[in-house]
Amino acid sequence: MILDLHTHSDASEDSRAPVESYLKWLVRKRPLLPIDGIVLTEHRQWNPHADYRALEDKYGLLILRGAEVETDYGHVLVYGVNDAITRRFDFTNVRLPAAELIPAVSALGGIAAPCHPGRPTIGLCAHYEDKPPLEGIVAVEALNGGSRRGENERVQQLIADHGYGAFGGSDSHLVSFIGICATEFECAVRTIEDLVSALQGGGYRPIDFRERLRSEA
Amino acid sequence: MSDVDTPAWEDLDVGHELSPLRLTLSAAQVRQYAEAAHMPGARFFSDDAARKEGLPGQIAPGNLSLALFSRLIVTALPGATLTRLGATFRVPVRPGQPLVVRGVITEKHCTDHGDLFECDLVIESVEGDRWVTGTASARAPAPR
Amino acid sequence: MAITIDRSVVGSEFDRTTHPPVAQTEVDAYAAASGESCPADGVAPPTFVVSLRSHRFMPKSLARLGRAGLDAGKDIELGAPIRVGDVLTTVSTVHDIYEKTGRSGPMGFLVLRTVVTNQRDEGVAVIDQRMMFR
Repeated sequence: MILDLHTHSDASEDSRAPVESYLKWLVRKRPLLPIDGIVLTEHRQWNPHADYRALEDKYGLLILRGAEVETDYGHVLVYGVNDAITRRFDFTNVRLPAAELIPAVSALGGIAAPCHPGRPTIGLCAHYEDKPPLEGIVAVEALNGGSRRGENERVQQLIADHGYGAFGGSDSHLVSFIGICATEFECAVRTIEDLVSALQGGGYRPIDFRERLRSEA
Repeated sequence: MSDVDTPAWEDLDVGHELSPLRLTLSAAQVRQYAEAAHMPGARFFSDDAARKEGLPGQIAPGNLSLALFSRLIVTALPGATLTRLGATFRVPVRPGQPLVVRGVITEKHCTDHGDLFECDLVIESVEGDRWVTGTASARAPAPR
Repeated sequence: MAITIDRSVVGSEFDRTTHPPVAQTEVDAYAAASGESCPADGVAPPTFVVSLRSHRFMPKSLARLGRAGLDAGKDIELGAPIRVGDVLTTVSTVHDIYEKTGRSGPMGFLVLRTVVTNQRDEGVAVIDQRMMFR
């Protein structure tokens, strides 16, 4: 099962992509992009009322939701967001304490995973240069579709040094970038609880579709 | 990506890639644009002035990137009327650097007043680094 | 932090300018410089609207930011085309303020909205400009 774990719809201030447009694009591009679903990870926000079941039914694709938050160790993707987590952490705070966030999210039923760790300033690699490593990290986004040359490569040493799991996501802010990087799971993922369990348990890898897309262009 | 000829309006659909623009802005062109657009910032006129502001050198105004997107749409979709244009300036565009302006149709809405197309737009280096991203909506001429 | 997030200014109007009639020389100079073509004789290219210069570019209460900002992006809704001779009015408000962190560190964002109308009170454009401050 292949999911894009890092996407932004027009609910994020810097994205121009309606959710339905993402799904239409994936249906059209299915021969090249065999994506089974996406996880919407909007910047610094969580809408408990958003409901995409009608779109899931219409397009036959899974839509899960998480969030991308900002911490003192860079940006972090949070999956399994619930009321307890949002009561504890204000997602609009751009300086959330990562050392507190990561174990607390886990204890409250979710998982917090650093994204684009190779990126300057907002990636984990930069912070590990002069700060102690964080406890409780299970996986990091090893493949990010919006990263610049060298940034994804920088993550490999981080993963080797700390034994982190590795996943992928497009970090798409435009319709045509959805699914360019994703994560392949050995198990089925049907709910956000399944995703949290899968990321904690292992049996997944990042997958890069960019070369395939370029060669077909 | 290969350049493609523009098909008839009715044949345009989601996934169609617009014929890209390939160009290199000169320092003089950037200055000319800044003057015509009433943008007096020194960063648009000289490398030294731009470096004093912490920039790597002379930069092109973001508005010039918008103009490049507009050119792409009008060139690739002759007769279309731009109704919406947006851009995020991720990295300053600098004169002397070859760049590629690309677009792809992501939505098509068929109406009696002319089909409305949504496009994703990118200005990138020849190596594929994205400097500017954006979207546009353009309306085809109404059917006769 | 580059700017203090004072959301009390959101929604406030900080400029209202009626511009001199659009001149053919201006349109020609912009078209030549931008590489855009004019849709018809006497009609300005689509992005000409961003060349309008209002009396005040920034709210007075945020004037200390001066020219320290970088243009982070724009979103433009286009309406009636701009024609030579049009007298355009721009009304600018503070649309949003927020902060985020990026590659270059903590950043403040100011979103300024400008509504452009012509002498017939037709909507010409709505421009949202995002300014980034470190």
